[in-house]
Amino acid sequence: MALDKEILKEFVEVVGKDNIDDGEIMTNAYAYNWCMEIFNYMEGKEPIPFSPIPKAVVLPSSTEEVAQIVKLCNKYGIKFKAQSTGLGPWNQPSTDNSIIIDLRRMNKIVKIDAKNLYAVVEPYVSGAQLQLEIMKHGLNCHMPGAGPQVSPLASATSMNGPGFTSPSTGHSARNVLGVEWVLPDGEIMRLGSLGLKNNRNWYNGDGPGPSLRGIMRGWAGAKSGIGVFTRVAVKLFPYPCSTEFKLDGCSPDYDFDIPDFMRVYVMDCGTFKYLEKAMLRIEEEEISFMCSFMSGFAVMAIFATSIEDLMDKMAIGSMKVPLVVIITARTQREFEYKQKVMGMILDEMKLNDIIGTLYTPNPIFYAEALRSNLGLHGFIATGGFQSTKGVCDTAAVCLRSTKKNIPMKKKYIKKEVIANDFGEGHWMTSYESGHYFHVESPTMFDQTDQSSVEGMAEYMEASNQMDLLKHLGAPFFVEGNKLHKLFGPHMSNYHIWLRKIKQAFDPNEIADSGFYISAQEESKEKS
Amino acid sequence: MTEDILYQKLVSICSSKYVSKDPNILKKYSKDLSFYPEKAPRYVVWPTNTKNIEEILKLANELKFSVIPISSSSGPRHHGDTIPHKDNSLVLDLSNMKKILNIDRKNRVVMIEPGVTFGELIPELQSKGLRLLIPLHPRGSKSVLTSALEREPITIPRYHWDSSDPLLCTEVFFGTGDLFRTGTAAGPGTIKQQQAAGQAQVNPMGPTQFSPFRVIQGAQGSLGIVTWATLKLELIPTIQKVFHLQSNTIPELLDLQHELLKYRLCDELLILNNLNLASLVKKSTEEINELSEKLKKWNLIFIIAGRGKLAADKMSYLEGDIRDIIGDLRLNSLLTEGIINDNEIIQVLSQATQDPWRLRLKGGYQDIFFITNFEKISEFISIVEKEVPRDLGIYIQPINQGTSYYFEFDLFYDPTNDGQKMAIKEKFLEISTKLMDSGAFFNRPYGILAKEVYKRHDESTQMALKKVKKIFDPNNVLNPGVLCFDE
Repeated sequence: MALDKEILKEFVEVVGKDNIDDGEIMTNAYAYNWCMEIFNYMEGKEPIPFSPIPKAVVLPSSTEEVAQIVKLCNKYGIKFKAQSTGLGPWNQPSTDNSIIIDLRRMNKIVKIDAKNLYAVVEPYVSGAQLQLEIMKHGLNCHMPGAGPQVSPLASATSMNGPGFTSPSTGHSARNVLGVEWVLPDGEIMRLGSLGLKNNRNWYNGDGPGPSLRGIMRGWAGAKSGIGVFTRVAVKLFPYPCSTEFKLDGCSPDYDFDIPDFMRVYVMDCGTFKYLEKAMLRIEEEEISFMCSFMSGFAVMAIFATSIEDLMDKMAIGSMKVPLVVIITARTQREFEYKQKVMGMILDEMKLNDIIGTLYTPNPIFYAEALRSNLGLHGFIATGGFQSTKGVCDTAAVCLRSTKKNIPMKKKYIKKEVIANDFGEGHWMTSYESGHYFHVESPTMFDQTDQSSVEGMAEYMEASNQMDLLKHLGAPFFVEGNKLHKLFGPHMSNYHIWLRKIKQAFDPNEIADSGFYISAQEESKEKS
Repeated sequence: MTEDILYQKLVSICSSKYVSKDPNILKKYSKDLSFYPEKAPRYVVWPTNTKNIEEILKLANELKFSVIPISSSSGPRHHGDTIPHKDNSLVLDLSNMKKILNIDRKNRVVMIEPGVTFGELIPELQSKGLRLLIPLHPRGSKSVLTSALEREPITIPRYHWDSSDPLLCTEVFFGTGDLFRTGTAAGPGTIKQQQAAGQAQVNPMGPTQFSPFRVIQGAQGSLGIVTWATLKLELIPTIQKVFHLQSNTIPELLDLQHELLKYRLCDELLILNNLNLASLVKKSTEEINELSEKLKKWNLIFIIAGRGKLAADKMSYLEGDIRDIIGDLRLNSLLTEGIINDNEIIQVLSQATQDPWRLRLKGGYQDIFFITNFEKISEFISIVEKEVPRDLGIYIQPINQGTSYYFEFDLFYDPTNDGQKMAIKEKFLEISTKLMDSGAFFNRPYGILAKEVYKRHDESTQMALKKVKKIFDPNNVLNPGVLCFDE
C-alpha cells in the first residue's frame, strides 16, 4: 500500500521528488531479494522470493536526511528498513507498513587516515572501492566473506563479519572505531571520540565509560533493527605484499602477475583432529594471511572461474580435509622466514603441499585472494546457497560441529532437496592468528524448486536444533523473534535483555525488527 | 530498616567473618590517592561465592542501598571510583574470590575470578609457557580482571586487536541481581557442557545481536559485577631483544613506531620521557634522578621476540627489516645501547611489581590520561609542559593496532606536603580541562573529572548511557554517582 499523499509530500520535502518512489514498479522490485523464499518458508509463509512490498523507497543523501526520514516514520507510525549494498533477505521489510531507506546515494569515502590506520566510509562504498583507494597508501581493509562488492559499513555495524583474511585482519565487528548512528527515534548519536563536541574525530568508538558498541551489535548485527548507520571508521591494515596489480585479458580469464612475496599451500590433513592440530600450529606462528579449512569441493571452487573449470579439478576435490594457507610478505627476508616456518610445520606434521606438484593455480587465483573475492566462487555451481552453523569459538568446537553436521546433511542430500556435496560443504577460518575460529556450512539448493527450498529450510532448522541440543554454539543467523525465542532460554535468557534494549531505544518499534527482536513479544503487525 | 537488621541480613548471607562495620576497616575504604572527597561505607562485605553476590544484590534492590564492587583490597587505589557517593553504601570486596579457574594452553586463554592479582597470575602462566597481556609494570596486588574491565592499555599494541582486549567472555551479575554470561559463554549449555563440546569461551562477541561485555567494560562497576572472565594469552618467547632509541624531539620517534606497528614487527612498543623511564627501572629517588639526567628526553622502547626452532631466523628477519626502516628514516644515530640493561627493561615489561613505579620518585602522583590520535601528540605535550615544567612523567602507548594513542601525564608530588598536594590538585583540574578543551578524549572518566568529560560530549551519548543503566541497574544500586549516572 502506497504512502498517504500528504505523508509522501513530507518525505519529498526531505529528499526531493527524484529521490523517493512509491510507485508499484519500484516498490515491487525492491520487494525481491536473493534467498527470500527460504526465509518466507521458515516464517510459515509462501516460499516466494519476495518480502512484503514497501510503501515507498527513499534515497537520502546525508545523515541529516536519514534522521529526518526516521523522525517522519516515528511521526506517522511507519517502519523503516535501511539497506546499503543490499545482499540478501536481511535487507527486506517484514511488514507492508514499512519504507525502505536505500542508502545508495551515500557513497563517499569520507577519509583515509594513513597515519592513524583507518578509513571512514558511507554505507554504499563497497569493499572493492575502498580497497582500491587505500592500496594507494599501501593499506588494506578487512572484507567479509560475502565479498568485495558488499558494504564494509554494513558488515562493521549491522551484519556479520568473518572473512577469508580474518587471520590477519580480524572480524568486522572488532574493527569498528568511530560511528555515526541515527537512532530509531531519529536522534543522531556519535560513538567514542566522534562524540566530542569540539575536535570530533574518528579514531575511537568506545566511551566515555561503557562502550555503546555493545548495544550497536554483537557477533551478529541488528540488520537495521536498532537504527541506521550513516558513517563508520574501520581499521586499516598494511597491504599484504606489493600493491603493484598487473592484470590483463578479459573476464573471467584474466592474467595476473603474481606478487613476489605471496604463496599458497594446500594440504590434506586427513582427519579433523589433525586439521585442528595443523591450524593451531600454523596460527601460533603468526605467519598466515589466510588460513581456511574448506571442503574439497570448495577448494575446487576457489581455484575455478567457471563450472567447466570447476569440474576439471576433481583431483583436488578428492582431498578429505583440505587446509588452504596463504602467506604474504613485505620483504624477501620476511618471505623466506615464513616459507621456512611452513616448511618446518609440513615436515613436522608430515603434510604434503599439493601446490606446484599436483596442482598449480592460475595466477588469477592470487588476485582473487587479494581482493577477498574467494567466497563468491561458491556461486559458480548454483545461485542458491545458505550457510548453516556459524559457531565462533575454538577450532575444536568448530570441527565437532562440522563432524556432527555431515550425517545430518546427508539425510537431506538423500532426499534430493539439497545439492550433493557429500555432506562436506564447510568453510572454517581462524581469526587474529588463531585466537578464535569460526565455521559455517554453506549448502547449495535450487531456489526455483519449491521442494528444494522447503528441504533447505528444514535442514537449516534441524541444524539449529542440533547446535542447541549438542551445545555447539549459536549459529550466526540467530535473529528475529522466532529464533531468539528458541535460543534465548538456553543462552542466559539473553532475549529478555535484547528486548529491553529494543524497548529502550525504539519504544515505538519503528526500526523494522524482522531480523532483530521486537519491542513486544510478538509485533503488532505479525499478530 | 534499622542498621542492625541490615547487618544481620548481610551476616546471614556471608557469615559474620565476612561482614564488617568496624570503623577502622571502613575508613580504609573511604579514601584513595585521588582528590575525591572521603566518605566511608556502612559495611564492607567479602563474598566468597557467586551466591553471596546474588543475594546481596537482591537485598540491595529491595532495601535500596548502594553496592560498590572492588577487586583488590591491598595496595593503593587512585581514581576515586570506589569511594562511596551515598550514605547508604556497602563495599563488596571481591578479593577473596581468587581462583584461577582454567588455564588453556591450546586455546591461549585463562579464566580467572576477580581477586586474582598480577603478582599471582603472571608466574602461574609463565610456568605453562604463556604470557598475559599486561599494562605497564602493574602493581603486583592489583586485580587482573579489574585492569581488563577498566580498559587499561597493554604494552603490546600488535596484540591489541580491539580496544576491549585482552578481555573475552565474562560471567556477570547485573544490577538487578540477574546472572548473565557474555560472548560465547552465554551458551547454549552450561560452561561445563560447552567445554565438553570443545569450547573455551574465547569469543567475546554476542550473544547474538548485542555484546553486553562492552558496556560492562569501562562502567566502573556501575552496571554489573563480574565474577569471572576469560582473558586472551600469548605464548612466551624464548629470545627477546630490546631496542632503545633516544631523542630530544619526539616526531621522529613517533614516525618510527608507526612503521613498526603498521607492519607488526615488534612486541612491546612504547614511548616514555626520561623521568618515567627512569622511574620504571630504578627504585630510589636518587637513582631515578641520576638516570633521568643521563637519558635524552624521549625514549622509544621496543622488543622483538622469537620462539621455537626458528626463533633465531625470526629475530634475524625482524632485525634486518627494522634496521632497514631505521636506516630509511635516518634514525641510526638514535639507537642507544648500555644505558639501561636489556634485562631490566624486559623485566619491567613482563612482570608485576610490589613497589608501584609511579610512587617511587616522590611517594605520590596524580595521573592524567586520555586517548588521542597521532597528530595531536605534540600539541598535548606542549600544553602540559607549559603548566608543569618539572617532575612530569610522560607515557605514550600506541593502542588498538595503531589507530590511537593512550597518553598519560604523571604529576609527581610529595603526599606528606599539604601545600604541594593542593597545588597538584589545582594543576590536575586545570590541565585536564585544558586538554579536554583541546580535544583530548578522556575515554575512562573517573572521579571529579567525569562531569567535565560528559559536559564536553554529545548529550545523545549520555542519554543512551542512562538508558543502558536503566536496563541493567534500574534501581541504581551499583556504584551510583560514577560516570554520568546520577547519585
